[in-house]
Amino acid sequence: MCDHSKNIYKPHLATIEQIIDETHDIRTFRLVFQDEAVRESFSFRSGQFAEYSAFGAGEATFCIASSPTRQGQIECCFRAVGRVTEALRRLEVGDTIGVRGPYGNSFPIEQFYGKNLVFVAGGIALPPLRTLIWNCLDQREKFNDITIVYGARTEADLVYKHELKEWQERSDVNLVKTVDPGGDGPEWDGKVGFVPSILEAAAPASDNTIALVCGPPIMIKFTLPVLEKLGFTDEQIYTTLENRMKCGLGKCGRCNVGNVYVCKDGPVFTAGQVKAMPQEF
Amino acid sequence: MSKTITEQNLRLLVDALLKEGGRVVAPKLAETMTLYEPLATGQELDLTKLPRRSSKETFFPLCETILTFERDEAGVRVGDVDPASFPETVLLGARPCDAAAPSILDAVFSWDYNDEFYLERRRKTTIIGLACTTADDACFCTAVGLSPADTRGSDLFLTPLEGGGYACQAVTDKGKELMEKQAQFFSDAGSEKPLAPAEPAGEPLDLGKIKSWLDGNFENPLWTKIADLCVGCGACAFLCPACHCFDISDEGTEAKGCRRKHWDACGFGKFTNHASGHNPRDVQPQRYRNRIMHKFKYYDDKFGRTLCTGCGRCIRWCPVGIDIAAILQQVEAKVEVE
Repeated sequence: MCDHSKNIYKPHLATIEQIIDETHDIRTFRLVFQDEAVRESFSFRSGQFAEYSAFGAGEATFCIASSPTRQGQIECCFRAVGRVTEALRRLEVGDTIGVRGPYGNSFPIEQFYGKNLVFVAGGIALPPLRTLIWNCLDQREKFNDITIVYGARTEADLVYKHELKEWQERSDVNLVKTVDPGGDGPEWDGKVGFVPSILEAAAPASDNTIALVCGPPIMIKFTLPVLEKLGFTDEQIYTTLENRMKCGLGKCGRCNVGNVYVCKDGPVFTAGQVKAMPQEF
Repeated sequence: MSKTITEQNLRLLVDALLKEGGRVVAPKLAETMTLYEPLATGQELDLTKLPRRSSKETFFPLCETILTFERDEAGVRVGDVDPASFPETVLLGARPCDAAAPSILDAVFSWDYNDEFYLERRRKTTIIGLACTTADDACFCTAVGLSPADTRGSDLFLTPLEGGGYACQAVTDKGKELMEKQAQFFSDAGSEKPLAPAEPAGEPLDLGKIKSWLDGNFENPLWTKIADLCVGCGACAFLCPACHCFDISDEGTEAKGCRRKHWDACGFGKFTNHASGHNPRDVQPQRYRNRIMHKFKYYDDKFGRTLCTGCGRCIRWCPVGIDIAAILQQVEAKVEVE
């Protein structure tokens, strides 16, 4: 945790230990904190986020994409689309970045023990679920069936390709991967179609099941009715909201949706909570 | 504890405080306008006008460095800014609408995480409030539950006397301490009468009623009607004693620079813009709605306070004449009708 007594805006320093190019513009950093005490004390829960700084360019907000079950390092995954993320992209293995966090609430994983889990993700929205997926897989015996429905525009746009392969090969995970019509190559061994329709076809049972949905707003919009049709209640569905943030601490005043501060009250919400908010996100 | 102080002694008090090495921030004529600024001498003190900008900068500067960084072959070094280095400050001549604002803002800067940049300045500042004996058309403190003689937020409170000089009341222990320490500038209260407080126009608003309307009217044609005028200049937020939204950005190069926290405004188009281009508030009515909602509903939901002291600056200086007091009256009237 951060030292709350002093400068709450001061980041920990971390070294980029590994860079993985997920797609042509999405990159994973594996980070190791430089301070030994921080390395040992830094703890977080799946769903929490951090502020990552490229010194000289500023800070950007991403989830912590690795699982808290994997100690000693954290991972983030970002698309280079703005000033800060472009600057992060220019950094190399061995370079230093700043990390402030962890912030926000998290997935109530303890409440999922003994249940079936259905993860539904689209495009770059897999990282916020991937932390939880590994968290569950690292304590596999605590959960029943695990289904992952993941799609992107094309095969090349899928992130964590190496891990998709691992999940596909595991007998205790049911991975359904899909690409948009026309997005498949000759080697493609997954489905073809949009995530909501593929989910509908996969038809996971809603009984004793939690659905975790992350994706572009349009995907979420069409996925929720499918889940409802499958019998999921609003309280059985979790998602994360992404809003522009600066402080991450409930002060700078820009991530609010109505009176809900995504940085403090979120980013993890149930579908019921999201529906109760003013539709301004 | 109540005393009096002459105009001349007030200036001498400033000089004495400066001599002790403290900072005195007070209204002074800065070129063409009156602003709350650090004084160099007591002679600069000018208590005749409500300063153009609020006194929030005393605690929450327009722009401040929150850390420095330097990078070389060995890596990055981050330097801290130590809030302990902030000077002891007396904010003198704060009008009730300005003096009350920090006590509202304390909640946001101290909940869960303490922003020591703000809080240390608060701890090190003594506020000497000043009653208003005149009001202009834009003043509406009485409409939002304050008054021209309200001592809330002040440590000491000055009330102008009919024959010149001020009655000085110790509101807090901190104020009493200052008064005792600088006893030579104060006299025992005599029979002199205080000037009558100003009487801003407008009846007190029923803020509870307004909030209950806001609770149920996130979608309402009113927002478009009001915000059709708004040009998104952000002047209202920058002049406001209670608006506190900020941005954080880096200055310098990747080799050497600093990170700064600086004022921002929810009226600006890019305020909520995502890197992807998606903007949850992509038209002005949504932004203006957020401004009203934040002040009269969201802040209240979270901290039980209204984020407005009725100083009237946003009305006085809005380039297109948007009048928040009139909007609140309209909303209140709607409740009567509905």
